[in-house]
Amino acid sequence: MKNIALNQWLDGCGIAPGMLGSGVRLPDGTCLTKNFNETWPSEQFDQALPLFAGALTMLSNYGFVPRWLTWTFAQGQIRIAAHSNGLLLALATEPNTPAAHNLDQFTEEFLALDFGH
Amino acid sequence: MSDLEKRHEILFVDDDRVFLEMICELFGTWSKKTWQIHCAKSADQALEILKSGKIDLVVADVNMPVLDGVQLIRILNRRFPDVKKAVMTGLATEEKRAACLANGAELFIEKPRSADGLKSVFVMLGELIAWTPREGFHGVLRRVGLPDVIQMECLGRNSSILEVHNQQVRGRIYIENGKIVHAAVGDETGEVAFQKILALSSGEFHLQPFESPPKHTLEGQWEFLLMEAARVRDEAASQAPVGEPDETSEPVVAAEVSATVSELPSRVTETLICSGQGAALYTWQCQNINARVALLRQIGQQAKELGELLPLGNFDRLELQLPDSRAIAQVQSDRMVFVRVVSGENSQPKTP
Repeated sequence: MKNIALNQWLDGCGIAPGMLGSGVRLPDGTCLTKNFNETWPSEQFDQALPLFAGALTMLSNYGFVPRWLTWTFAQGQIRIAAHSNGLLLALATEPNTPAAHNLDQFTEEFLALDFGH
Repeated sequence: MSDLEKRHEILFVDDDRVFLEMICELFGTWSKKTWQIHCAKSADQALEILKSGKIDLVVADVNMPVLDGVQLIRILNRRFPDVKKAVMTGLATEEKRAACLANGAELFIEKPRSADGLKSVFVMLGELIAWTPREGFHGVLRRVGLPDVIQMECLGRNSSILEVHNQQVRGRIYIENGKIVHAAVGDETGEVAFQKILALSSGEFHLQPFESPPKHTLEGQWEFLLMEAARVRDEAASQAPVGEPDETSEPVVAAEVSATVSELPSRVTETLICSGQGAALYTWQCQNINARVALLRQIGQQAKELGELLPLGNFDRLELQLPDSRAIAQVQSDRMVFVRVVSGENSQPKTP
């Protein structure tokens, strides 16, 4: 049930032009990713999710516990946010696109998701 | 056809066919055919019409089956951010109004029940079509220094013109893609003008949308331009005669901002600029330089690993949204920068 809702939400991210991919790392380490652009490598995106989790741990070692963080590269941005239930969100967007401009809105939506028990 | 008679493409979305037909006929007549009215009985029909890319304004009903007006407005806000959006409903409540406006509607109207009401709606929609939204944010910042504003523009790789003025002088600093490319004040341009503007002790600034400067008179890294301006200002201050400060020497810039930046901080609380090797070049309120440099190095290392995995190009920066502040860590081959800003006027961040 939780995965169905999660799948639907991750699929919904794709309606924003410029969204390359969306993904979630579950507390047990498994990943759920969606690809919205044929040039976006979904397999590598899967492999990157543990790196994002590692970055959060590294930041906490320096005393930073961000609500979310954004990695900005020349050709894309990646937004990371950790839900209180242990899910880790990653959204990849092309720069200067509606998807990139709405990252805050997507993140707030994700953090407010209630999957029930 | 003159500009005044320019045709506007308006899409009404409502599951009430009779209402749509009435609107189409009445508004088409009142607009003297300057409104090209499109009708959709459902959200999916509306999305299909919007794909044509020529719609200026969408007016949606709230209560529709499958996908209601609020959901439709939310989708439109993401997929068609340039299209203006209005909501019209027969049952207006404060909750609905708040939901529609929060999701991107520019106007929330109660469905008219009389001819006069219809005319009012027609006028309001006409005003909305004619309205040109101002880009950027508009607000008031207090106790903000010009270097803070320039730093945020440069770190954000923004393009803008920073206009600064007080009773004596008026100057402009041009920032293009995060680089300071031109400064002018009076007859002076280039670094002299830049330093003169930065030496002002008070005044107002406005961030204006970028236009190409008449010429490029500045080059080099913005960090060094700021440091040199600070050095010149400090030297001038140390040579000035000591006396009672007058009103214009108040070191506060209260400014009205209309800017194209995505978000402006109210106060920079920490700055560290170092070389690519980690040698500190400029620090301000950075309590543990070694820890910050180590953090920047680790961020650079993680960015490198990500860059090898994903086709994202060169790494620029990592932004952290913290509970009480925001931090930007920029790691480039020739420099590393850490800036922390607090949005609340009085909040003091806990520095890790």
